[in-house]
Amino acid sequence: MSGTLQKKICMIGAFSVGKTSLVKRYVQSVFSETYLTTVGVKIDKKALDVSGRTVNLILWDVAGEDDISSLRMSYLRGAAGYVLVADGTRPSTVDVALSLRERVTTEYGPLPFVLLLNKYDLTDQWEISDAALAGLRDSGWWARPTSARTGEGVEEAFRHLAVSLAS
Amino acid sequence: MPARHVVGPRPDRHGAVSASPDILEQLLHPVSGDTGIDRKALAELLLEAARSMKPDIDTPSEGLLRADPRLAQLRMVLLGPEIEALSRLEDPAQFAAAVGRVLPSAVAHASGDGQLGLALAPALEKATQSSIRSNPRTLVNILYPLIVPAISKSIGETIDKTFQSLNESLKHSLTWRGLRWRLEAWRSGQSFAAVVLKHTLVYQVEHVFLIHRHTGLLMSHVAAENAESQDPQIVSAMLVAIQDFVRDSFHGAEQQGLDALRLGELRLWSEAGPFATLVAVIRGNPPEDLHEVLTITLSRIHSEYNLLLETFDGDSTGLEGVEADLTTCVAQRQQAPLQARTGFPWLVALTVLVVLLLVAAWGIHWWLGERRWDDYVARLQAQPGIVIIETGQHDGKYLIEGLRDPLAADPEALLRAAGLVPGQVAFRWVPYEGLDAPIVLKRLVASLAPPAGVTLTINGNRIVANGSASSAWLDRARLAAETMPAGAPVFDLSAVTNADAARDAHWADYVGLLRDQPGIVITEAGQRDGRFVISGLRDPLAANPLNMLSEAGLNPLLVTSHWAPYESLDPTIVLKRLQKSLDPPASVALMVEGDTIAAIGSAPSLWLERARMVARLLPSGAPRLDLSQVRNVTDPELVKLSDTIQATVIRFDYNQPLPAAGQDETLDQLASELNRLASLAATWHFTIQVMVTGHADASGTGAFNLSLSLARAEAVIALLNKHGVDPEMLGLRGAGALEPLENKGAPETARSGDRRVSFTIEMQAQS
Repeated sequence: MSGTLQKKICMIGAFSVGKTSLVKRYVQSVFSETYLTTVGVKIDKKALDVSGRTVNLILWDVAGEDDISSLRMSYLRGAAGYVLVADGTRPSTVDVALSLRERVTTEYGPLPFVLLLNKYDLTDQWEISDAALAGLRDSGWWARPTSARTGEGVEEAFRHLAVSLAS
Repeated sequence: MPARHVVGPRPDRHGAVSASPDILEQLLHPVSGDTGIDRKALAELLLEAARSMKPDIDTPSEGLLRADPRLAQLRMVLLGPEIEALSRLEDPAQFAAAVGRVLPSAVAHASGDGQLGLALAPALEKATQSSIRSNPRTLVNILYPLIVPAISKSIGETIDKTFQSLNESLKHSLTWRGLRWRLEAWRSGQSFAAVVLKHTLVYQVEHVFLIHRHTGLLMSHVAAENAESQDPQIVSAMLVAIQDFVRDSFHGAEQQGLDALRLGELRLWSEAGPFATLVAVIRGNPPEDLHEVLTITLSRIHSEYNLLLETFDGDSTGLEGVEADLTTCVAQRQQAPLQARTGFPWLVALTVLVVLLLVAAWGIHWWLGERRWDDYVARLQAQPGIVIIETGQHDGKYLIEGLRDPLAADPEALLRAAGLVPGQVAFRWVPYEGLDAPIVLKRLVASLAPPAGVTLTINGNRIVANGSASSAWLDRARLAAETMPAGAPVFDLSAVTNADAARDAHWADYVGLLRDQPGIVITEAGQRDGRFVISGLRDPLAANPLNMLSEAGLNPLLVTSHWAPYESLDPTIVLKRLQKSLDPPASVALMVEGDTIAAIGSAPSLWLERARMVARLLPSGAPRLDLSQVRNVTDPELVKLSDTIQATVIRFDYNQPLPAAGQDETLDQLASELNRLASLAATWHFTIQVMVTGHADASGTGAFNLSLSLARAEAVIALLNKHGVDPEMLGLRGAGALEPLENKGAPETARSGDRRVSFTIEMQAQS
């Protein structure tokens, strides 16, 4: 009989990209959002079944920062992977996400991650071209447009991460 | 080495060993690359070997012997290169080099097995000991960064534990519950602090999390029954997040974990190990000892699951056994002791009441005692003749020091009056003489003993005596008043009347009277011991002083008199004396005239003669007796009578001693005349001597005549005596014949007149 499998996953991204909304509907949450503003982090859990084994993703929702330098990098210690979140209506947040990825890689080495371009439901404001997305994918990244509101792509993203970590 | 599988024949299902001809064939035909082996010899050897194990095998070649020298050959054939390699190992240097190459990986492989640790432990122990002996500094440098925080934490926990114990003890030491626990501690022999902790440290370990330090992932979790919590995985991650938050937020805590959190009655204690952190969630007030339990559990988990902890990546497989360890932590609890009985604690209330009453009684007793003491000291201070210098307490006794007049009130007696026990108080008195009026009064009363009629009172700074007292007491009191010390109250005796004033006046009168008495000289007169005393000289002819006492109104019993007799020359007394000695006839009067005593009147010559003699004998300085005024007169009867008697003769016959007949009448006559004469002589104070002379006539011899004459005189005296004449006045004489009336030559008739008795009278003034 095998024990439980857990993985620490960090949600990082620029301010107001919808990280919290992203996990709100799809994860098991016990803490209120005020933790984000007080402690700077909020823990949630997402349980997934991977090849018949439950993988618990322990999600560290780190408070969003526009200034990436102020991100509490210590929260990423021991993380198995991370979820980069950007706002598809604000291309600048994608840059922030890229910078964050670089910082994480510098600090903790190459970790599995997925890139979520959120707020895909706001089609009229969407500013990420398919070409840009394809470009990201071409460089070997797993990047998807997601919508916290409709749930599009969310489940898939977490599953992808879980599978890549559990294997 | 695949050949070994072939060489070591395994028992088949039927227990038989078969040497297959195929195998032999394979052995006999050399494979490529396997040259230089004598396969035939090898085959025979193998068969021999097989037969030695299983004798019933067919043996193609029987000649093979157990100790065939070919075996050595075979050994060389088969194991030539290996033997060569092994021989190289016999060289220690080469062997060491070979082992050195494989040792690290060998140890790494063997470390999964506990055996290596056991085998190495003694050697490592010795190596460590010698290393420390040779250079302790190295070990100190290695251990310092680890051991100092551990020690400081341990000391901190010990101090916390001590403070916890102290706090709880203090908090409960004065409450009723505290008293009950103290009783329990006394009964059970535990320390009070231990009992307090037992009752106050009510706690329950509700959750224990074992969290991987690096990832913050939960490795194991155990919760107590009924303990509620959120998803432990999320919770443990959040705990790590919070620890990270604190570590990041506060400078200086980088190397430290968060030891404890507290929220209300929930506590969160964290013990950090090298790879995992043990977090206990405790409800209540846990003892500091619990830290120790957690630390021990954590270190046990580390030692048991060291590798798994180190390599943990989220997969908790293999860590199932940890739960048992954590369960021991969750079992840690201290239940609140059952309340024995609810309801009003009558016994407690009663005990408290009794204690309060005892305390109150003691307090009142103490207060009363102090008040009594204060009262007593004040009372003593107010006492005249007592000066308190110091009061205090010593050895549980009160102490008073001061001065005390011996006549002052007795402090011990006052003690009883104040309600204090005499044994409670020690006195130290120095005697002195007090000058307070009351004390001086006491002293006067003691020394003077005033009579019942006298009272002494204090009036300001004066002691006034009232009443009446004897003059003797008054004299003593006056003396005392004069000898009072300076500064003492004045002793006023002016108001005391003398009870003996009348008596004293009588005495004075008496003494004055005596002084005026002639023939009395007072040498001393006074009072002694309440009696009058008088002494002096007194002429026996002076007045009698004793007779004068009653006249003066004095009680003779109160007077002591001493009189010495003497002869006074006072004219009055001399007069008296002369009166007595001269006995002057009625015709003479004696009287004092200045310094002279004059006799006036008339007296016979005989008296005058005597008086003149007495006057001459008066002592010098005495008054002179003047007799010039006394006329000399003689009594005619006396003269006549004297002549008659002298003329009388009693006649005798011849040679007869008795009177002749007819002489009786003459004798009678003579007797009466003599008696008359005697009475006259008495009157005139002269003495009469009548000489009776017997005579004889000249016939006969002289001796006869003398005898006869004496006989005749005796006969007359006898006869006169018979007639009442005092014989004292009669003298006897015998004249014989020597005094004849007639001449010698006269006739015999004439001589008859010579036979007679004659009488001659001699008168003399009395001296």
